[in-house]
Amino acid sequence: MKKLLKERLFEAFLDEVDGVSCVPASSTPLELRTQFSPHGLRFPLLHDGISPLFLQVNSSGFPPASSRFGPYCDNITGMNWRLPDGRMVRVGERVVKSTTGYDILRFLLGSGNRYGNPVDYVLRLRPDTGGGGIFRLEGVPGKLSEAVRTILHSYYLHWLESVDWLEGPEAPSLRVAVHCPNEEWSVFVDFMQGVAFRHGLSVDVQPGQNAVGDGLPDLVFKTTPDRVVSLARELANMGDIRCVALCYCAVVHVYFLGTDNMGARTQTISKSFAPLVEVLGGDWHSRHVVAPLTQIKETAWIAELEREWGEQP
Amino acid sequence: MLLRNAAPRARILDSAAQLAGYGSDGLGYKTFLPDLVVIPADAEELASVVRALHGGGLPVCLRGAGTSLSGGPVAAQGGVVVHTSRLKAIREINVNGLWCEVECGVNLNQLDAALKPTGLCYPPDPSSGPVCTIGGNVASNAGGAHCFRYGVTSNYVLGVEVVLPDGSVHRFGGPAGGRGPWREDWKRFMIGSEGTLGAFTRFWLRLTPRPEKAWTFRATYADLKSTERAIHGLVKHASYPVAIELMDPHSVAMVESSPMAVGLPQDHFMILVEIDGPASLVDLRAESVAAILRDAGSQDVLFGDDPEMRQKLFKARKAQGGLLGQISPDFLVQDAVIPKRALAEVLGLIYEEAERAGIPVATVMHAGDGNLHPNFLFDSSKPEEIEKVEAISKCLMERVVAVGGALSGEHGIGNDKSEYMGIVFGPDSMRMQMAIPGVFNPTHQFNPLKVFPERRFSA
Repeated sequence: MKKLLKERLFEAFLDEVDGVSCVPASSTPLELRTQFSPHGLRFPLLHDGISPLFLQVNSSGFPPASSRFGPYCDNITGMNWRLPDGRMVRVGERVVKSTTGYDILRFLLGSGNRYGNPVDYVLRLRPDTGGGGIFRLEGVPGKLSEAVRTILHSYYLHWLESVDWLEGPEAPSLRVAVHCPNEEWSVFVDFMQGVAFRHGLSVDVQPGQNAVGDGLPDLVFKTTPDRVVSLARELANMGDIRCVALCYCAVVHVYFLGTDNMGARTQTISKSFAPLVEVLGGDWHSRHVVAPLTQIKETAWIAELEREWGEQP
Repeated sequence: MLLRNAAPRARILDSAAQLAGYGSDGLGYKTFLPDLVVIPADAEELASVVRALHGGGLPVCLRGAGTSLSGGPVAAQGGVVVHTSRLKAIREINVNGLWCEVECGVNLNQLDAALKPTGLCYPPDPSSGPVCTIGGNVASNAGGAHCFRYGVTSNYVLGVEVVLPDGSVHRFGGPAGGRGPWREDWKRFMIGSEGTLGAFTRFWLRLTPRPEKAWTFRATYADLKSTERAIHGLVKHASYPVAIELMDPHSVAMVESSPMAVGLPQDHFMILVEIDGPASLVDLRAESVAAILRDAGSQDVLFGDDPEMRQKLFKARKAQGGLLGQISPDFLVQDAVIPKRALAEVLGLIYEEAERAGIPVATVMHAGDGNLHPNFLFDSSKPEEIEKVEAISKCLMERVVAVGGALSGEHGIGNDKSEYMGIVFGPDSMRMQMAIPGVFNPTHQFNPLKVFPERRFSA
């Protein structure tokens, strides 16, 4: 069997049938929208409306709509990747489903710049149905927490773009975003009003506003769905912090109120809270500091990969 | 003796009759007899067995139910098969945390039965569900009919416990999912690694609410172009079907000639679609899905929300693989994934090549994912037929890569497709791939000659 003598790389494309597109990693949300909207498609996984895609991917793997569609690593199917010495390789595929060799794509995605940088992403797109909205539930925290459990165990969970617990200086609230065809909106209104009634909560319905963007988080914790709300509440108690807990993904996004001492604050908070999540096989991450390795053997494994991937033979 | 001391409660098989049962997987025509089979009593014994074999002269091959279709869990270079059939405990189902912890030998239907009373489910559903193990599913990143919307195994693995070839035990992730997509997420290498990096002992899996209601649709089409049009319409539709399955006329004819018959016209393509979710939502969507199927040219669209109809249709679809064994001494199932715009082109190529070679072919497809399963029927006692089937496979794989597809979607590479890896990976990306066993299994003692043909064990 013949072998390739040079690397195959992705070229820019948009495949409307498969709903995949190869775009520069530096693309902005506006550029993505401009490119995909005319085809009735969208890339829903964005933390904000301004940051280039690679910054969004590196800040947290779990953007708001990951409740419905999964994290970035399930929605970026391939990459052109520049290795530290400048060589370009292709990782992953343009088809969504693949078991062809080791999963280097998911490993590299969001691994920082130790092994190089993304140049292009192949994005998995979704139909843009044009409708939807946001529900905001408020009430006694204990009742709100019960409402989270109801939603996470309901058949509707698969269709909710995000289920977020908001915790900060103001009273906590629950935000649920839906993206759906207009004719289905009333079904979701009935469901959410039912949840609110059952748990004695007030609900504010905002049709037409279905994009959630909280910005790039300063610090991220990953835990389990049954602990995510209490973790967000404890974190917010540290002061000058706003938290968004992605309830199904079990991720807490921490936003510092103010820009002073980001690195030091990250270190202090992560030191206090890391043991709580690590005991469950969870983890933390911040774009402001490099997290320490937790297994001694990792140092050797990383060195081996750096040697093999980093230098031309 | 070494093994007996390491694992006193293990079963050790060494007679020819016993070993014969481990000579092949679902790729039945390629057989490789192991020298020995060890069946550890539990995870601790499994780790002891690995430590006892470390540094020895024998290759090690991990095996679950042996239902792989790509020549994965077989002793291609001889040595010891470690069979994980006794690691069958479901250790915990955490309903509030939406996760469960299972041992590697748990089979899918066993897990599904345990989850049913909780209202939760674990969605991947390969056709071998009644027998295949979670360990095998993770090793090959298995999918199934319903993964178009729900995703494949890798979307549901939160954590992996693995015994590396040096005997060290590592836990990557756990109920909280580990590193997720930040920092070095080692479990990503483990999922889909086909037994080449270590021995799995247990997993933490993400669970999700079981759907309340499903609508099932079946439509038949006289030609490939109309079939393709229907599939293109479905994958772009906002109803997000969970499954879009295709059976070609040969497969339909096979099912219709069996006790699984569901009354389909035998010279037509059949598309099977399912949407699921809350009743109030799927009831709204049913008619629009039927309209897509009709608009593509089907005069024969049936749909309903009757669970019995659903069960019957999916049973017929999943029975196709089993029926192949009744009509042919051997068959080879390919597992390519193609961009869906190339569906008619690639299926056309399969039919042309098979007809030219005089090899019957029956194709099923997870059409939503573009995941093709052509089944080539042949007699392995005739070397010329093996040659023809392998030539068709080669031609198919070259076209799949040329149109932007992948060699495998859910079966893995095994030793069946390893020789094609050179047309996928260039020199630098191949070196990146080979660096991974270089880290975890540098001598290739675990599952040699799989995934990459260069992976040969030398003691």
